[in-house]
Amino acid sequence: MGDVLYLAWRYLLYHRLKTVILVTSITLIIYLPVGLNVVVEQSGEHLTARAEATPLLVGAKGSPLELALNSLYFSQDYPELVDYAEATAIEDSSLATAIPLYVRFRSRSQPIVGTSLDYFDFQRLDFASGRPMAVLGECVIGAAVAEEFGVGVGDTVTSSPETVFDLAGVYPLRMKIAGVLAKAFTPDDDAIFVDIKTAWIIQGLGHGHQDLAQPDAAASVLNRSQDNIVANAALVQYNEITADNADSFHFHGDLAGYPLTAVIAVPNDEKSGVILRGRYTNEERDSQIVRPVTVIDELLDTILTIQQFIVAAVIIVGLATVATAALVFMLSLRLRRREIDTMHRIGGSRARVASMLLAEVAIVIVLSVALATAITLLTWRFGPGVIESFVLS
Amino acid sequence: MINIQGLQFSYGEGDFSLQVPELSVVSGETVAIVGPSGSGKTTLLNLIAGNAIPQSGHITTNGCEVTGLHDAARRNFRIANMGMVFQEFELLEYLAVLDNILLPYRINRTLALDTDVRRRAEEIAQQVGIGDKLHRYPNHLSQGERQRVAVVRALVVRPPLLLADEPTGNLDPDNKDRVLDILFGYAENNAATLVTVTHDHDILPRFQRVIDFKNFYG
Repeated sequence: MGDVLYLAWRYLLYHRLKTVILVTSITLIIYLPVGLNVVVEQSGEHLTARAEATPLLVGAKGSPLELALNSLYFSQDYPELVDYAEATAIEDSSLATAIPLYVRFRSRSQPIVGTSLDYFDFQRLDFASGRPMAVLGECVIGAAVAEEFGVGVGDTVTSSPETVFDLAGVYPLRMKIAGVLAKAFTPDDDAIFVDIKTAWIIQGLGHGHQDLAQPDAAASVLNRSQDNIVANAALVQYNEITADNADSFHFHGDLAGYPLTAVIAVPNDEKSGVILRGRYTNEERDSQIVRPVTVIDELLDTILTIQQFIVAAVIIVGLATVATAALVFMLSLRLRRREIDTMHRIGGSRARVASMLLAEVAIVIVLSVALATAITLLTWRFGPGVIESFVLS
Repeated sequence: MINIQGLQFSYGEGDFSLQVPELSVVSGETVAIVGPSGSGKTTLLNLIAGNAIPQSGHITTNGCEVTGLHDAARRNFRIANMGMVFQEFELLEYLAVLDNILLPYRINRTLALDTDVRRRAEEIAQQVGIGDKLHRYPNHLSQGERQRVAVVRALVVRPPLLLADEPTGNLDPDNKDRVLDILFGYAENNAATLVTVTHDHDILPRFQRVIDFKNFYG
């Protein structure tokens, strides 16, 4: 048997281009449906687990999918905004705990999640070092962020401006890291958490600047009346909240009208959840309440349907490829008739020569299966992350 | 060594037929078979080797009635008793020289490939001047070198009978002499029988006997 395998291997090695093409084709035929199934199943489990852990989401009327993906996975598809009053209303109803979310800004590619301290308890997030944010301008970073940025407690991260060319737009805010989360293997690993008010400061809804009443700010005063001072463009605005300037930070207007992307509602019990959902059945209401698990199930149903179409297509292509490979093999037998005759003429047994030819086919199949298995294992290991980055980016 | 009695052979198609009433080759004899193209020289070689079966008659080689053996036994007998050399060398392009030489041991389980065989293959290759080319592929060899590889492949099993079909047909004079020296040297040193089909009348004086094949053409 060793000799047969050796001869078959030498043949495949000598005709390596043909072998590589055959192995690649068969590998793809095996891998595509299997790998796709692994990706879909794993992604499904991953997506569903987080959705199941989040009972209810309240957001502005619009796409429930955008609302769920932005709130659970911090995707870059931002839903319509809802007022902060929505969170206080839920809290005031005593039906549920309201956790505000404002997921709009980024530091490089990492999402900045404006929320409250309840979020860490709700998601059962542990701290690897440091503590939760305590004052404006502090942040808590996920394990992956700490790894990617190479930062830790006491360092700073800076929010990215939304557009470089918009002078009136969002300015970068340097935030001090108060804590680093332990790895949770969820999107929280990739997030930077700040207090909701810090998120509003990033947007410019709250700001800090030099005190215009002080003499050293005279150059920044455009107009001064008895009860009003108007600043000019020379006014120094702070892009970092420190102990020295923290008092100068303030918000204009009513916080109830400030924006949120969503509110996580954690009902006190099942009945409270039903009552809360009932309150959002009013068609005239500007906000909606969704059960994330339902939204994600619908998404997975769609993915499953697409997967079935792809698998059907792959099977058809696979049959065609197998037929082509069989044809290539048959034609190669004709081309190799002289070689086969030579082996017979010098005394090669028919069984051995046939075994050698079959061994070539077997080696190609074994190599293909091994390669497909290896790629499937890699898919199993890294696939969900890749697919999520595609789905959620 | 070879005894043929009342041999009659024809292919299924065409009007070719071969009749050999009687032919004997004694052990250790060197015989050249000559004759016009299509006269059946190569066919006779194939019949002696057991690659073709006559319609009637008997071929006895080395005391064994080859025509009476079944297919597998014929192959086993052939690989153990006969070395075949072909005009077109018939080397396998995907095997290096050493692997081509050892091919008989890999394609028939009655022969055992061990270190002695490998050493013998290397020694014979060394003797015929291709010892430094054992790991090259046939398409990197000259015509003469390829034929020497084919000859070593035939000799490595130490057959008592060598069957050569136009072994010098594609060679220049220098390589022709070299290949013939190897074949005759082996036959002489091992008391082996050499039967060669050839068109080359220049080499006939080297053989002990020349059979003109036009006498057998039916």
